[in-house]
Amino acid sequence: MSDNLRTIIVCQGTGCVSGGAEQVYSLLQEEISRLNLSASVELKSTGCHGFCQRGPLVVVEPDGIFYSKVVPEDIPDIAQSFLPDGRPVERLFYFDTAINRPLTCYHDIPFYYKQQRLVLRNCGHINPESIDDYLDSGGYQTVRTALFDMSPEQIIEEVKRSGLRGLGGAGFPTGQKLEACYVEESDQKYVICNADEGDPGAFQDRSVLEGDPHAVIEGMIIAGYAVGADRGYVYVRAEYPLAVKRLKIAITQARERGFLGKGIFGSNFDFDVEIFQGAGAFVCGESTALVLSIEGKRGLPKPSPRPRTTMSGLWGKPTLLNNVKTFANIPLIIEHGSTWFASRGTENSKGTAIFSLTGNVVNSGLVEVAMGTRLREIIYDIGGGVPDGRAFKAVQTGGPSGGCLPAELLNLPVDFDSLTKAGSMMGSGGMVVMNQDTCMVDVARYFLDFTRRESCGQCIPCRVGTKQMYDILDDICRKQGRPGDIELLEELGQSIAKTSLCALGQSAPNPVLTTIRYFRDEYEAHIREGYCPAGVCLAYQ
Amino acid sequence: MSKITFTINEQVLEVEDGTSVLEAALQNDIYIPHLCYHPELESRGACRLCVVEIDGRLVTACRTPVESGMVVRTNTPEVDQAVRPVVELLIANHHITCRGCPSSGNCQLQNLMAKLRIDRRRVRRLRVPEEELPLDTSPPCFDYDPNKCVLCGICIQTCEKIHGTSSLYFLNRGTDTRVAFYGDEARCASCLKCIERCPVGVLLPKQTGSTD
Repeated sequence: MSDNLRTIIVCQGTGCVSGGAEQVYSLLQEEISRLNLSASVELKSTGCHGFCQRGPLVVVEPDGIFYSKVVPEDIPDIAQSFLPDGRPVERLFYFDTAINRPLTCYHDIPFYYKQQRLVLRNCGHINPESIDDYLDSGGYQTVRTALFDMSPEQIIEEVKRSGLRGLGGAGFPTGQKLEACYVEESDQKYVICNADEGDPGAFQDRSVLEGDPHAVIEGMIIAGYAVGADRGYVYVRAEYPLAVKRLKIAITQARERGFLGKGIFGSNFDFDVEIFQGAGAFVCGESTALVLSIEGKRGLPKPSPRPRTTMSGLWGKPTLLNNVKTFANIPLIIEHGSTWFASRGTENSKGTAIFSLTGNVVNSGLVEVAMGTRLREIIYDIGGGVPDGRAFKAVQTGGPSGGCLPAELLNLPVDFDSLTKAGSMMGSGGMVVMNQDTCMVDVARYFLDFTRRESCGQCIPCRVGTKQMYDILDDICRKQGRPGDIELLEELGQSIAKTSLCALGQSAPNPVLTTIRYFRDEYEAHIREGYCPAGVCLAYQ
Repeated sequence: MSKITFTINEQVLEVEDGTSVLEAALQNDIYIPHLCYHPELESRGACRLCVVEIDGRLVTACRTPVESGMVVRTNTPEVDQAVRPVVELLIANHHITCRGCPSSGNCQLQNLMAKLRIDRRRVRRLRVPEEELPLDTSPPCFDYDPNKCVLCGICIQTCEKIHGTSSLYFLNRGTDTRVAFYGDEARCASCLKCIERCPVGVLLPKQTGSTD
């Protein structure tokens, strides 16, 4: 370790990079060397720090000084602040409008201190391209623990007891899945990490891969040991070039250090990971379609009843397939134990949930909270509420097939079961806030436009039904709605939900059914009274 | 082969072990709607029309093997509310002009409409596609009408089963999905089994004798 007194962290997540963080980094580098500060100041790039709304972000540790919306013109002042008589750059502090004063450190900002960042513990703190940084934070130690101190059965038991459920959306108990794959007898098994995050507005899997790729690899190694697999794949979207790049670097580094490959840590356990890049079809995030995609086939979900992927997955072999965040949780459980893990969350949803908080919200960004946290706390306490004095209207959780929930449900705890009961779902973790200027018919149309385009086309209800629902919604938005359309949408939605071949089709009507359930008067205003209450649909102006 | 006894709509049936619920019903003259099923092919469960109720759950009959003591219901309101809209959607999307269609009178969709007593007034609530897609005359063995295709996949599976690999496969996704001819024209053995098995007549024999 160096004797540096200060570390300047420049967030290099996709959000900050698109705001110019790469330039901020290189200018800071020049300025620090120009001022001969290199001995006392270390510059570090990290993955997503989470507060994407305020990017590019610069954090100074160990003080925790937090600079937001940093532009090239601010660099000289930031660098000057490290001179012996330098002072922090106050104009770049986060200004908390609730208490009407600037806050110096990120620990003081409600957006951060109201969160429980466990899976995201390293994101924004370590350099994702440096395995040494990861090792300094305790990385890969749980692999050693798992390989030498635990049997596969003990790992499975620990994960089962933790109550961890699959964080890709379905919420299947992870320990049970591990066990199902473990008990299969086979000469070959596989582990697949699903990073085909296709929901519009969702970026939590991307952020974990960009910010802490080694944690995902670590989770995959332990899972591989537990089920008896020696090969792993990360199925990641080609639209995530930065995640792919950092994951590649991480895999190479892990191989060089012997954490991947033959005889890990000198044990007799072999495990290696490859990246498979998806070609941009939403449906390939569905597990059976994903498996076919890796096999080089058309990504079509398999109809049930079918053997579970844990029995017959990739190339017909037992396969453990989990989401990025699920794998990232496994080292935590091994390190701290199942009791520690299960102390967070609700009775049936343990641990934390990560959301990409976006839309009409003051603080958009990456948020991790304990399961069971109320929607209101996420949107108001962490998210800072709805900006510009507008009123909250709805929040959509769970991606394009999630539901839109109204203000009356803001006290709903966020966990698998509560969201499903309210007509929405956890999904992979999208959370879009909408204000009073949003037309709920238009919103439903937007999401159905997405699902109808992304339907694999295999089964009739999803292929023809989502298109029909879209056409009806489009008619309503264009002042062509007909009496009976609301009932027709409900009838079609229920039928599509019951008959579609895969979970994507079954959940596709959710945005329509929930907007009718909670905002029926808006549909009626369009069709019967001839106006769009939010003033969005142009045909009514 | 051993026999299995089960109940379907209060009728007790005995069928061979390994029979699917759909096959068992059809063997005993109990109609369950279906489009993508063909006795010589593996069930893809793609059309979703053969939904039945077993133990309060809706499942596809074509992919559910009969089990001893199983109680199947094909005629509950739940089944009807699930399946009827799917058939109506298909009809609205099918450019329903039977007049002039070579399959008329021998069409599985017409058969389905009659069996389910589809009410045209209910279908008229739905939006119909405005665009009429052109006939695809590029395949060597047939002309293809994408407007009427139900994408059951029987032609693709048939070609694969007879010739080892299929010259036909799906193209595009979502509502743009269609069947297309892939690769080598010389590989098509022109057995014309695909045309023969098409349930709705979207694969039209080539008009080789045409004079114009």
